[in-house]
Amino acid sequence: MLSSFLFLAETTGDVADAGKAIALALGIGLGALGAGVGIGNIFGSMIQAVARQPELRGELQGIQWLGFALTEAVVFYGLIGGLLAYVLV
Amino acid sequence: MKLLIAVFGALYLAMPSFAAAAENGEEKFNPASEWTLHEWVPIHLGPIDLSINKAVAYLLLGAVVSCLIGILFMRVPRGRGPNRRQALGETIYEVAQVQVAEQGLPTKAIGRWFPYVATLMIFIWVVNMLGFIPLPLSDEKVEIAGLEVPTLALFAATSTLSVTLALALMTFVFTHVEGIRANGPVQYFKSWIPDVPKAMYPLIIPLEILGQFMRLISLSVRLYANMLAGHMLILTFLGLIFIIGNVVLAAIAVPAAAAFYLFEVLIVVSVQAYIFAALSAIYIGSAIEPEH
Repeated sequence: MLSSFLFLAETTGDVADAGKAIALALGIGLGALGAGVGIGNIFGSMIQAVARQPELRGELQGIQWLGFALTEAVVFYGLIGGLLAYVLV
Repeated sequence: MKLLIAVFGALYLAMPSFAAAAENGEEKFNPASEWTLHEWVPIHLGPIDLSINKAVAYLLLGAVVSCLIGILFMRVPRGRGPNRRQALGETIYEVAQVQVAEQGLPTKAIGRWFPYVATLMIFIWVVNMLGFIPLPLSDEKVEIAGLEVPTLALFAATSTLSVTLALALMTFVFTHVEGIRANGPVQYFKSWIPDVPKAMYPLIIPLEILGQFMRLISLSVRLYANMLAGHMLILTFLGLIFIIGNVVLAAIAVPAAAAFYLFEVLIVVSVQAYIFAALSAIYIGSAIEPEH
């Protein structure tokens, strides 16, 4: 199976491009995995906190979005790094 | 389930004929080509390139719309009963005051720095939002009734790194200027060093200095990459129809693109504007009143 794919790539002469595409997708995918866990954690904790103390919702919301954005940004560092590597290498 | 099988069956059957048609097409669609900026009005001052291009046009439009929002919603005639316009203006003001300024700035500095962070919030929100409204500001032309009209396009000025880096640089400069003015240079740079044994200093001080510059990078790259990825996703989903050359694919691609569009417009645009302003307020606030 794998050898047939390699053969295909070899015949068209795009082995390096294929490798770069796989690396980019894999890198962003793994980055998104970590951030997904983190964002889920933030919103999960927010639901728990509001369920326990509904009157704090307003105060917590600001912190929640701050944490969300800080966590989410991690994927994008991966994306930018991946795109840079894709373009430069 | 039967419906799914029918859809994919139709897709599979329709694939070869359309794919063959696409190979004869003149050029391949590439989503990334939306970000090549062509000069519209070339302005060159020696080595400095100040040409007006698509991003600059969007920024100027954003500045005008931000001013209009300020004038329309904040300048309400006094003496009359509150109307809806005033209520909306006060909501914007309250978010900027309570959620952004009071979160980061110490009380004594709110008067001076509230205008800056509130402007940042409104301006970034407007520029982000303009990026999701199809506007006739693009490099491709289409002929309507003998007139060359630019095609409608989605493009956000904040999805270019130079724009967000300039905004982040402003916060970076203001942070240190304000920190030095409030504490004096010696006291301010001393406040960067945390409470650690003296033996750790060679390790900690370079890290802290690096950390100050990492703020600059994280502030600019966060906004830039968010808007870039949002536009890229929408364009790629719609572009798949043209890349694969199959109209039936639109049954999946268009709803997916619409879902991402809604997600971006409803959540990402506002959250990114809020985050940029709130982090600017926190950075400036922490420079004015260091923790120790």
